[in-house]
Amino acid sequence: MTAPAKAPLLAIRSLRAAYGKIEALKGVNLEINAGEIVALIGANGAGKSTLMMTIFGRPRARSGQIEFDGRDITAVPTHEIARLRIAQSPEGRRIFPRMSVAENLQMGADATDCSEADRASGLERIFALFPRLKERMTQRGGTLSGGEQQMLAIGRALMSRPRLLMLDEPSLGLAPLIARQIFDAIRTLNRQDGLTVLIVEQNANHALKLAHRGYVMVNGLITLSGTGSELLQRPEIRAAYLEGGRRH
Amino acid sequence: MQASRAPGIAFIFKKALISALVALVLFSLMIGVRTEAGPQGLLVYETRFGDLAAMVAAVFGGSIVVELLRQWWGPVGTIRVVPPQVTSTLAVAGRWVAPVLLVFTFLVPVIFYDQRYILDLGILVLTYVMLGWGLNVVVGLAGLLDLGYVAFYAVGAYSYALLATNFGLSFWVCLPLAGILAAFWGVLLGFPVLRLRGDYLAIVTLAFGEIIRLVIINWQSLTGGPNGVSGIPRPTLFGIPLDNSDNGLAALLRIEFSPTHRIVFLFYLILALALLTNWVTIRLRRLPIGRAWEALREDEVACRALGINTTTTKLTAFATGAMFGGFAGAFFATRQGFISPESFTFQESALVLAIVVLGGMGSQLGVALAALAMIGGFELFRGLDQFRMLVFGMAMVLLMIWRPRGLIGHRAPTVFLERNQAISSDLVKEGHG
Repeated sequence: MTAPAKAPLLAIRSLRAAYGKIEALKGVNLEINAGEIVALIGANGAGKSTLMMTIFGRPRARSGQIEFDGRDITAVPTHEIARLRIAQSPEGRRIFPRMSVAENLQMGADATDCSEADRASGLERIFALFPRLKERMTQRGGTLSGGEQQMLAIGRALMSRPRLLMLDEPSLGLAPLIARQIFDAIRTLNRQDGLTVLIVEQNANHALKLAHRGYVMVNGLITLSGTGSELLQRPEIRAAYLEGGRRH
Repeated sequence: MQASRAPGIAFIFKKALISALVALVLFSLMIGVRTEAGPQGLLVYETRFGDLAAMVAAVFGGSIVVELLRQWWGPVGTIRVVPPQVTSTLAVAGRWVAPVLLVFTFLVPVIFYDQRYILDLGILVLTYVMLGWGLNVVVGLAGLLDLGYVAFYAVGAYSYALLATNFGLSFWVCLPLAGILAAFWGVLLGFPVLRLRGDYLAIVTLAFGEIIRLVIINWQSLTGGPNGVSGIPRPTLFGIPLDNSDNGLAALLRIEFSPTHRIVFLFYLILALALLTNWVTIRLRRLPIGRAWEALREDEVACRALGINTTTTKLTAFATGAMFGGFAGAFFATRQGFISPESFTFQESALVLAIVVLGGMGSQLGVALAALAMIGGFELFRGLDQFRMLVFGMAMVLLMIWRPRGLIGHRAPTVFLERNQAISSDLVKEGHG
């Protein structure tokens, strides 16, 4: 894949972030072009989720720069970032258990200035993608199965009609078949609507097959990057993330 | 069917005997022997074996009854099949509870016109219904545990009392002012507690309630300290006083004056205020702000991930709840005609919180029923004298065992599909449902 002439949609330059004294990001560089799926893989505690949350302004960057569509958003408050139409599906799904599926979805649109028509078309789009959610419409979020909850979490993020969708471990705790459905849905979104996706995953095999490009993160630093298939071929990736568990 | 798993009569008797034995040991000294000061000041004792025997017999009989009841009820956790007629009847009844209750409330002053006691009780219950609905916004919807709600009640009451006695402003001017001032204090409380949750929030709000009360007690020059504020003007019907004067309502309508007119007026006033609270809450729940409150209760992290501004969401919840508390406070001041810091103790906060929790966190009807049960029940048990608190506490414990989520524990959704459209098959390609 050749590098597009246009400036990247999201550009992160030597980004540092910390929780108190513990530095989680130690100078991260990363770029996402419009219309791309980018996978961020790495072991537990590498800083993948922190990077995603820092893009969203929580925790704040200590130094470095986050640029979205040519605008510096490093110091923009979290709720303003959502208005720029960056959406996030947080780790562990975190749907609202006592609220109905419909209300959960509406919550996704509430933070942005969506008209009623936008909401209606957003719902239609999500139900086309995940017909299961339509059936569950009036059910409480907490009564859904794990896979349905993940669909709901993605659907909720999609309600704000994002330009960049960030997914934190969408396959976490899901049966392989369900995880596959989720990945298929992400691919559909990208192909049909040209949605730009940043996907944080521990399931490196799945994520790299899906993504156009990938980054590997170790201890708060990006150590490797390349196209998805390139990374899948690399012996160190295969050893660390794909066959590591099978050696013993 | 039951005989197969039910323990035999021998088992029941054995259990009853053991219970009776334990009772005999326990009560032999407590009831069986009674010491008293004799005529010379010496301690003498008398035996009451009759009472002891009666007590032991009661335990024996009671144990058998409990055991039989337990057999009839089946083991804990059995799924009981309720006949469909019963469920449907209950559902129909459930739908009609709120309208029937509302109509009945409207008719209370008509039915009980002669019974001042019931009218006063009704006003008291409605005041707590309103306070419950106000606190429900903060605790039930936004999930922010507030133990100092009485502070806003006090702010509202003192706002009206001081504005009316010092500047001669009428009730209808002061009412919104009291609400605004209380909301202002709500925001003021909200700021320092923005980052707190659960227990920590409860402690700070508790302290806030106490601070307001202590300030009222100690700021003698303004609030009159422990002496309170007296001579608070009675409310008027848009300028027409409800008294015995020549330009009073009775004189204008050429009917005979009766002090009950004012009570009835107060009744409808608090009813209107309470219904306003209810209406605003129901409306807000359907708007993004109300939805954000509930989402905040469910998961604050998820709210942030969705770009909800949690600061404004929390502050609006505090302000809205406080405003209704302020309205209720202004009403309280005008009804009593006299207020003092004694009316705004922690006990009031606890009572209102108990109403919200018993009602089922977030349910409007539940809160109304709980207020009726708590305040009405309090009066109902008045005849029990010293045992009132005991019976009341037991009733609350039992309620929490049977209905741990409160009287009305389920939550009504606020988003409905206008029409149930089927998705056409050409849209359903990916995702594999």
